[in-house]
Amino acid sequence: MAAPTAVVLVFVAFPVFNALLFSLGFTGGINSTLAEIGQDIISTPSFAVFENLFHDSMYMRDLGATLIVTFASTVLTIGAACVISIILRLYGGYLGKLLSILAVVPLFVPVVIASWAILTFYDGTGFLRSVAASLGFSAPTWGFTLTAVTIGSVWTSLPFAVLLIAGAMQGIPDALLEAAHDAGAGNWQAIWHVLLPLAKIPLTIASTFTFIGVLGSFTVPYFTGPNSPTMLGVDLSRYFTAFNRPQQSTAQAFVVFAFASVAAGLYLWATMHSNEQTS
Amino acid sequence: MKGKPVETNDLRALGETHQDTHGIIRGSRRLHHHPWHVVILVWGVAIILAFFILGPLCWLSLHAFASNWTYPHLLPEGWTFHWWTVVFSDPGLGVAIHNSLVFAPLTVAISAVICLPAAYSLSRIPFPGRRVVLVGLFATNAFPKMGLFVTMSTLFTALNLMNTVTGILIVHLLGTIVFMTWLPAAAFSAVPRNLEEAARDSGAGWWRTFLTVTLPIAWPGILVALVMCFLASFDESQGTYLVGAPTYMTMPTEMYSLVLNSPRQVAAVFSIILTIPSVVLMTLARRHIMGGRLADGFQIR
Repeated sequence: MAAPTAVVLVFVAFPVFNALLFSLGFTGGINSTLAEIGQDIISTPSFAVFENLFHDSMYMRDLGATLIVTFASTVLTIGAACVISIILRLYGGYLGKLLSILAVVPLFVPVVIASWAILTFYDGTGFLRSVAASLGFSAPTWGFTLTAVTIGSVWTSLPFAVLLIAGAMQGIPDALLEAAHDAGAGNWQAIWHVLLPLAKIPLTIASTFTFIGVLGSFTVPYFTGPNSPTMLGVDLSRYFTAFNRPQQSTAQAFVVFAFASVAAGLYLWATMHSNEQTS
Repeated sequence: MKGKPVETNDLRALGETHQDTHGIIRGSRRLHHHPWHVVILVWGVAIILAFFILGPLCWLSLHAFASNWTYPHLLPEGWTFHWWTVVFSDPGLGVAIHNSLVFAPLTVAISAVICLPAAYSLSRIPFPGRRVVLVGLFATNAFPKMGLFVTMSTLFTALNLMNTVTGILIVHLLGTIVFMTWLPAAAFSAVPRNLEEAARDSGAGWWRTFLTVTLPIAWPGILVALVMCFLASFDESQGTYLVGAPTYMTMPTEMYSLVLNSPRQVAAVFSIILTIPSVVLMTLARRHIMGGRLADGFQIR
């Protein structure tokens, strides 16, 4: 286990720690090169970089947009994954299998392609607008909006959520469902009192992965999203490359990381909990 | 009536040589006859999902063969292979394809050498820091990728790794570590110990036991890890762009400039080419991915 840990320590932990120092105003050491070429560098140890960020109304607007898109995408992804998994478990048959295969298709498609495909499908000259126009009414243009970012995020996150949740629900014994039915439960009650509670831990894991994935995403919002407000992942890269403000960029990484850590904590709690149950 | 489908299911489960028992492909059965409104509901979901998932892909694919396409027509004015010759005659795109096909296998090889022994020991040696290691590796996923690359570029600038193959390989490697440790670790853990012990008892050495018992049983999980790892490297764009562009362009990074600077049809052709390796590899590992190997690997045991 030494080798991957070493790689992570050298190329993740060390730069991250170093970046934390950089964002807190320590501009010496290996940060000195960036501090020289970057603009608006604060070289006194303080929280000034973060304070400036949180007083920047544009950034706060992006933060708000990112959280809304992330929450919406997570809820929609997990909701859709639950519907698909429940149909697969209770309805089954060829239609159920077809649904599960459809849901896993995005795993086969590179994210760059997916984002581009979704943009062309929903933009001003896309399929949705073309169909609406030929039917004689005007559909909204979703290309370069947060709606497109949400659609793209759900599209790319769905396979993993379905694999986790459907996997768990397929593992629930028929006997439990039959017992519920014998006790007079209808399909809805069986879903609410048997399927969902027994899939609680995979549900948590899937939600966390989706949340973290969308929160820090770059490619989907870069292709499909608006210039402003934009997602934090795009901001990060823009501050670094286009604006040449590396210090603000690293500080933003920690803002995203702070939100991701909360979700990661939930994930860890869920998996540890599942270990206690199975062992 | 009620018992029969269960028996067929059980027989099928017994017939399976691999242990993908929690997979979503496992046979489901009908508990009841479905009333018509449930049938309509399920068909409705199926149609919406097909539209949502396949719609954008079909729409994009059509562009690759379209001569000219004006809004709001639902089909292009004519069909042509012209855009394919444009893509194949562009030297820059050829280099990008070449680079991608070199970086991805290299990344898989390096990642396997670094991570597989670690995955094995994580599954076999109970030591107190085990979970800390697994969780620490996971932290590479929780920190936003773009943020990680930005912070790493500080180090890369200091080490002169910007615009180098080594730098790109390190970026790609970081995206694969979680797959390459967690998935094989779960696969090794799932190998029944008594089988290994039986092999050892009948005189097989450690290597022989590993090669003839452990590896074949754990192989599906490792295969899924290798495929995911290849695709992670093949699809990686943000970090490669930051570290490698414009000296080293790969297919995904080339896509960024294509989308901005070329006709839609060229990007569509390139998209199809870029998707081929994914589809081939995923189809090879599809049974195991759907069989639950991917999902199982992400639960810390």
